[in-house]
Formats: sequence, C-alpha cells, structure tokens
Amino acid sequence: MRRIADRIATFLLWTAAIGVLVLLAFFIGYIVYLGWHAISWHFLTSPPSEVDAGGGIGPEIYNSFYILILTLIFTAPIAIAGGIYLQEYARPGWFTNTVQFCAESLATIPSIVMGLFGLIVFVNLLGWRFSAIGGALTLTLLNLPALMRVTQEALASVPDSYREASMAIGATKWQTIRKVVLPSAIAQLTTGIVLIAGRIFGETAALVYTAGTSVSAGRSAYDLNPFHNAETLSVHLWYTHSESLVPDASAIGNGSALVLLAMVLLFNIAARVIGRTLTKRLTAT
Amino acid sequence: MISVRTRAHAQEAVARALLFAASAFVVVAMGAIVLYLAIEGTRLFFHDHVSPLTFLFSPAFAPDEGHPGALVFILGSLAITGFAIVIGAPLGIAVGVFLSQLAPKRLAEFMKPAIEILVGIPSVVYGWLGLTLLAPLVREHLGSLTGFGLITAAIVLSIMILPTVISLSEDALRSVPDTLREGSMALGATRWQTIFNVLLPSARSGLTVAVILGIARAIGETLAVQMVIGNAAVLPKNLFSPTAALTTEIVTDMGSASTGSILYHSLFSMAFLLLLIAMGLILAIRLAARRAS
Amino acid sequence: MLLGQQPKADLDINAKLMVTDLDVYYGAFQAIKRASLDVAENCVTALIGPSGCGKSTFIRALNRMHDLQADVRVEGEVVLDGEDIYAPGVDPVAIRHRIGMVFQRPNPFPKSIFENVVYGPRTHGQGNRKKLQEIAERSLRQAALWDEVKDRLDKSALELSGGQQQRLCIARCLAVDPEVLLMDEPASALDPIATSKIEDLIGELKKDYTVVIVTHSMQQAARISDFTAFFLMGELIEKGATRAIFTQPKDKRTEDYITGRYG
Repeated sequence: MRRIADRIATFLLWTAAIGVLVLLAFFIGYIVYLGWHAISWHFLTSPPSEVDAGGGIGPEIYNSFYILILTLIFTAPIAIAGGIYLQEYARPGWFTNTVQFCAESLATIPSIVMGLFGLIVFVNLLGWRFSAIGGALTLTLLNLPALMRVTQEALASVPDSYREASMAIGATKWQTIRKVVLPSAIAQLTTGIVLIAGRIFGETAALVYTAGTSVSAGRSAYDLNPFHNAETLSVHLWYTHSESLVPDASAIGNGSALVLLAMVLLFNIAARVIGRTLTKRLTAT
Repeated sequence: MISVRTRAHAQEAVARALLFAASAFVVVAMGAIVLYLAIEGTRLFFHDHVSPLTFLFSPAFAPDEGHPGALVFILGSLAITGFAIVIGAPLGIAVGVFLSQLAPKRLAEFMKPAIEILVGIPSVVYGWLGLTLLAPLVREHLGSLTGFGLITAAIVLSIMILPTVISLSEDALRSVPDTLREGSMALGATRWQTIFNVLLPSARSGLTVAVILGIARAIGETLAVQMVIGNAAVLPKNLFSPTAALTTEIVTDMGSASTGSILYHSLFSMAFLLLLIAMGLILAIRLAARRAS
Repeated sequence: MLLGQQPKADLDINAKLMVTDLDVYYGAFQAIKRASLDVAENCVTALIGPSGCGKSTFIRALNRMHDLQADVRVEGEVVLDGEDIYAPGVDPVAIRHRIGMVFQRPNPFPKSIFENVVYGPRTHGQGNRKKLQEIAERSLRQAALWDEVKDRLDKSALELSGGQQQRLCIARCLAVDPEVLLMDEPASALDPIATSKIEDLIGELKKDYTVVIVTHSMQQAARISDFTAFFLMGELIEKGATRAIFTQPKDKRTEDYITGRYG
C-alpha cells in the first residue's frame, strides 16, 4: 500500500517537473513560430506607423537599450555601494533592520505603483513630462533591491580567510574590500548584473506612464537626449495590442514578442558565459 | 610612512561615509514613495470628499458621478491571486520537492537555467502568449464568449509565479538538515512518507515565505493580466466573465484620466492601497521568518 | 627528539613583547585568564597546550586581530618596544605592520604570486615597480621560495602546492618588514616534508625576526623553539626555556601534558 502511494507520488512529481520544462519549450517554440515571418531588416529598423501597415520597431529597440544603460548607470553605483555597506560594515541594529525592510518593500512594490510614483515626481512635479530619464529613474528604484541582494551574495561568497589575511598585513577595511574582496566577487556580481539587465529590458508597467507610449518623431527618434519620450519595445508590444489602429497589429505584436524573447535569452546566456569566463580568469591569474 | 597611513585612513573614512549614504538612500527613497503616494492617494478622501467606505466596499465604479467604488477591482485582484495560488503553489512546491529530493544531478542542473528563463520572460510576453494562445483555447474548448476573463488571467498568473515558488521552495527544502531525512528513512519510512511527514513540515516557514512571495508577485502583476482579463469593471458572474483587478484598472484608465479628476484620484488611491498591501506582505514574511527561529 | 638550540644567556635577552595580565572575554566567557609572558627578541617562543586551551586566542591578541570580531573584550597590556598596543589612540593598522600573522590554512589571494607578495607594500603606498620587485625577491628568498617560483611570478598563487602556498604567505608577511612574526599552527595543514621545510625556515627567520608560534605538536615545539609557554583552560600554567620545560617541568599539569597523559 505504501509502495503504491510512493510510486504515484514519484510519478506525479516527475510529471510536474517535466511538465514545466515542456511548457517552457512550448512557449518559446510558439513565439518563434508566430513571430518568425514578421522579422526582417526593415521591421527591425524602421519607425512604427500610426495608421498604415508596414511599421517597424527600430526606435523602440533603441529606446529599450538606451533606458537599460541609463538605468544601470544610476542603479549600479548606489546598489553596489549599499550592498557593500550592508555586507561588510553594518552592525545589526535598528538602522540595518530599517534598510533591509525598505529594500524588501521596494522589491515588492508592484511596478505599476512605482510607475505612478514616477508619474507624480518625474513627469509632473519636476515637469519632465514623458522622458527616458524619468523612466530610467523609476526603474532604478525598482531594481535597487535586487542588485543590492546580488552584491551582498557575491561578497558573502568570498571566504573570510582572505579578509583576515589582508587585515593581518595591516591593510584597512576599505583597502581589503577594494583590493581583495571585490575582485574575488566580480564574477558573481557581473553575472547578477547581466541577469538584472535582462529583467530591465523587459520591464513595461513602470515605463508606460513615465517614459511614454510614443517615440519622438523624425530625426530625434534615435537621439541621446534623455528628456524625450521614449517608448520601449515592451511598452510598444502592449500598446500595439491595446490601442493600435494599424491592420497588421498582430504581426507587429508577434515580431516584437519574438525580439523581446530573443533578447532575454541572449542576456541569460551572456550572464552565464561571462560568469564562467571571469571565474576562470580569477582562479588562473 | 606616517603620511601614507593617514591617507589610507582618510580614504577609509570617506569610503565608509559614501557607502553609508548609499544604503541610507534606500530608506529615503522608500519614505518618499510612501509619502507621495499617500498624499496623492488620499486626495480622493480629503479633497473630493469621497468616503473610504464607499471606495472600499461599493461595487459600482462610477467616478464621473462621484461614486468610485473599487470593490470590483479589489475582489478581482483577490480572485485571480487566489486562483493563481491554488494552481501555482502546489505545482511550484511539487517541483521544488522534485528538484531537491528526486532529480538526478544532470536534470537539476538543466532545470536551473530553464527556471531562470521562465523568470526572465517579460510579463508583456506572457500576456501576449495568453492573448494568442490561451484565450482562443478557453474560447473554443471551455465555451467562454471571448476567452478573456477570470480563469484565463488566473492561469497566466499561476505560470508567472511558478519560478518564484519553485526556487524558494527548493531552497527551503534543501536547507533541512540531511540528518532528519536519514533518520526517517532509517526508521523504515518510504521516501514519500519522509517527504510528507518530515521534510515538508520542517521546511514550513520557508515554504510559507515562498507562497507569500508568490502572492506578492501575483497581486502586483499588471500587464500580463490586463491583456487577458477582459477589463470590464463589473463583478464576475462566473470563472469566465471578464472582470478587472486593481493593477489592470490603473494601467487601463490612467491614460485617459485627466489630472485632478475623481477618476485620477481614485486610481491613485488604488495605487496607495496596493502599496499598503505590499508592505503588509513584507511584514507577514518577517513574522513567518521569526516564527521559524 | 632534538631539543631547541641553547638560548642566549639570560642577560643578553631583550623582551621584544611584554604581555601583562592579559584577559580575553568572548561575551561572558573568559577565554584567557591573567596571562603574562615576555617574548624574547630574535627567539622562537612556542605556545603549547591541549585543544581549546586558549593558545590561538592568546596569539591573536598580540596583533589586535580580536578587533575584527564583535563581542570580544581584551584587557591587560601588550607592550611592544615600550608602547602598549592596546593604549587608547593606538592605530591597530599600524600595529599590524610591525606584528604580522601567518594562519593555519594557507590563504593566498586569488592573484598572481607576485601580486600576493607585494600586496602589503602596495597598500602601504609603495608604487615603484622596481622597488616592489626588489621587495618581492627579498621576501621570497627569505621564505625559501624564490628558486621555486622565480620563473613564474605572474602565475596564479592557487597553482602552488600547500607547502609552497604557506611559504608564500610567510613571504607576503615578510614583505611588509615586520618585527614580530605570529604563526598560528603554520604547518598543521601540511604534509611532513613541507612541515620540515617550514621548520627549517623558522630556524632561519629568527635571526632577523621575533617569532611566536602556536603548535599542537610538542615535538615540534621541542624541535624549533627557544622558549615555551604551556596553556591549559585559558591559564598560562608554566613558561620558560624549552629545554627546562621539557626535561624538568615545575608544574604537575605541565608534566602530565608533556608525558602524554592528555592530548
């Protein structure tokens, strides 16, 4: 009797696990199948069209990367510095507890709520209207906790014996962190950053009402001005589905979904490859 | 030599101050968010004189008539979250059990990046999949009119929370000491008995955290749900009715809400409500974690 | 069993480090109770005793390594050349330039051999490449490692054997030109051949440095040290010239330990 229950349970568990894998494979396959025809050089580089068929996603791809880089520029210094402080310097106490609580809360805030905060502060209060920098700052707030956690984990993986050896030679704490701990943690840290970059690339809800749902027309579509509105690829996918008037909205959506998926997979693979390369370099030299 | 030592010490002091400032920034940012959302979120009550009871409990959402009852959305959020958890939590925990107890090493290593990819898929893409793949299925095979509604949203959501629940459950189960498992097996228990009677209870707090975080993810999810839920501001009659949730309502109507209108303010009140729910969930997690130790 | 070399006559011996009434507390637990010891200059002093007796705790107090732990309290005096290193206002970082430490498990950084050795001088501000190369060669020679690594200084330190890594850690320590070398069971993680190399090295090092070594091997203490201090349950039971301790211990507990009554 017990044997049979055991067998059934094992069977169910295996089914669940394989089911998840099959689901994933199916999703990827389906998106590729749907979007494959829509992809063309023209599609990837031309601007979107308001009314006619044949629009592309060129500026949106550009904006996705632009906002990604802008967000990382803001997030990385603050998050890494905060992570170093929490992991290497902070003593248990009310301040550390408060920081942890705030970081955890920031991480749980729904992205649309953060988007509304961005709407209040960046769009209205500071008068920037829809802008790339407004979107980037909002995304910074969303991703700070994740990058802080990545930093802390990377630092924790460095053995204490390195810290001891360094301090015993008469280095200060900051020298130890800068010259021994951080370099040892860099592989894990970089992997984490690339994975977070992938998440930023796909972020939508927080950007809809901060970076906007349209691209600047004409010559300024590809510019470096952070104060122009900047619809990203993911926002475009949503907007196409819900508001678009063009007859080939479906095809555009399929193509956009495929490009988004491809980018995320690329980021995932890059994270692993970079991580592995850096780790090899670290232990070899 | 003395001057070098002083320089290193000065650098130490500066570094320490900057690092401290960075972590203090997190607190300041959170404070600002709570503050601004509280201000905008309560304008409905203080400025437009709508009663909080009306907002929370009235099923009629009619902001143009000064009567923005958000009950539909609150119930919508609760419903899809509830169903998503009912489907996704047991499945996620099951896979977590599988990964920590049953999976051969190669398979476990293969599944790790697979789960990372599941996490990484943007929510719009999940929404798109729901739109193009799931909704037609629901329409054709389950007799729903449009395919958009409560159940479609719940299914999409359950898949989205899977990776979170899986990896946290796996961690929780892995952290149960091996000696407990070995002790149980040594007494003649089968593998399944050990899992059910020893491992799962020992990992209870970690599993609770996994589920709460799944809830947090579900309640905060916006776009994927919005694309399949039908966006009708009415209470659902059955599983297939189109309805709406707090997050989806915000993203749907914010574009057309004029600044300062009652609609505008009620959307911010919904945002503030979501903020409070998120903070409440964090407290719940802390309580669960404290109960463990 | 070889006994250590004859120490110089009492009159010639200078006390490099004078420890007076040292107490160390881990929270409420007192790990070291009123220990006093004079460490002779240019000699090897061995700290022996059964495990848990406090010898590691004691040696770590000599270069303020306990500052790095929360909840550890040190009371008493440790005087280096007339200055109490625990006096208020004394910079522990500066102390660690003068009193270096080698640990039980070799812990080279994941960097090249060269970078490991010059790590200390670099953090103290020495940037001149030529000078650093000189320091590296000098230290590696002193640690009896130069010949084995001189052709691969920019290879990773992690590729060296355990014994080589430990000698690298010693070289790393010597590169900052300390006055005292503290060694916490430096050979216990090594094989016998590597161990004897380290022991020979210590015999050479004491000509230029003062060495304090924690060891759980009495034979090792008898082989290489000039003075020995015996610890038991946090108390310094007996101290003196190694030969005297091993042939005519004054305290019965010392005698019991030396004759192997307990390990």
